[in-house]
Amino acid sequence: MSSPIHINGFTNDTLGWKAWLDVVQLAQATPAQMSVLEESHPKAKESDYYLFLVHQPEILRQRSLAFNAIMYAPGGLSRAERELASTVVSKINGCVYCASVHAQRFEQLAKRQDVIEQVFEEPHGAGTSDRERAIVDFSIELTLNPDHVNASSIQKLKDAGLQNSEILDLIHSIAIFAWANRLMLNLGEPIFPSV
Amino acid sequence: MLNQSTSDTLDRLLGLSPQSQTYATRREREKVLAATQASEDGLFDPVLPGLSEVDRLYVALYACILTPSPELAAEYESRLTQLNANLQTIHCIQNSEILLLGNTRLEAMLNFTHTLITKPINADKMALSALPKAGLSIPEVVTLAQLISFVSYQVRLAAGLRAMQALELS
Repeated sequence: MSSPIHINGFTNDTLGWKAWLDVVQLAQATPAQMSVLEESHPKAKESDYYLFLVHQPEILRQRSLAFNAIMYAPGGLSRAERELASTVVSKINGCVYCASVHAQRFEQLAKRQDVIEQVFEEPHGAGTSDRERAIVDFSIELTLNPDHVNASSIQKLKDAGLQNSEILDLIHSIAIFAWANRLMLNLGEPIFPSV
Repeated sequence: MLNQSTSDTLDRLLGLSPQSQTYATRREREKVLAATQASEDGLFDPVLPGLSEVDRLYVALYACILTPSPELAAEYESRLTQLNANLQTIHCIQNSEILLLGNTRLEAMLNFTHTLITKPINADKMALSALPKAGLSIPEVVTLAQLISFVSYQVRLAAGLRAMQALELS
């Protein structure tokens, strides 16, 4: 069971999100916009995030294809480890909303929340095993200093037991949150549950 | 439908060939490969309504310079040159001299780029509202935010793939 986490302004609570500018009204959406919403996420028609991004439907379509292929495809890096990387990136970038969603997904998949508490406390050095620490370190490095990532960064992942296909999945999971965090942070804000 | 590999920007820029292990690993995730390239193609589509193709490339160039990602900066600069973009504007962007541009709309777009690339947490409601004030429509704001965010993804994917390739060749 998941218990509530509130550390440094980050949480695993379920948050809302509202756009700062006008979203597309469903009643006025074109057939193309409706079909992109349906492809993007099961709840996209109720979500300000998708209803705002669907102002440019084809761009949203490709973003959703990339996002869903990166986060949900079978094989390769475990889904829990992808969610861990996403949570680390979201913490580093300061995206409280994304961090809450992906902390929850990690907990659902891994059936534990120890490493999430560590990440919210201090991402540097977080991880409950050498493998997790390697994933967290690399997520921080590629997020903050992509120009510093080199062969030895990859070697450290291999030393921690990651295969090439897992490393590619990790790179994808980190990179897609450079994208996702910037949209969430810059187009609207989280809504916290009323206490 | 997934047969776009001959025109894949990152394979070309990183020199990934079918003989390379990194190239082969990427093919295990064909849907990501295809959606990455299709996102780039969509964001820089010459006929996309709203922001001009040259303005979109100025934004991408600035994002790559700030990151920094020299290989992608060179790529976007070369596309700008091919479109006969203003060399003075390119020069100002390369030197982060945005105030010298004398173009309020482009300045607003580049200031937003600076915030999103260097300190995304600082891009608040006020930063966003500067864009409609500079004359951008809401669909144009969406294009701009997606463009900058996509380039943030692309530079990290390129950096990761470059490092995988470097280890493979070492």
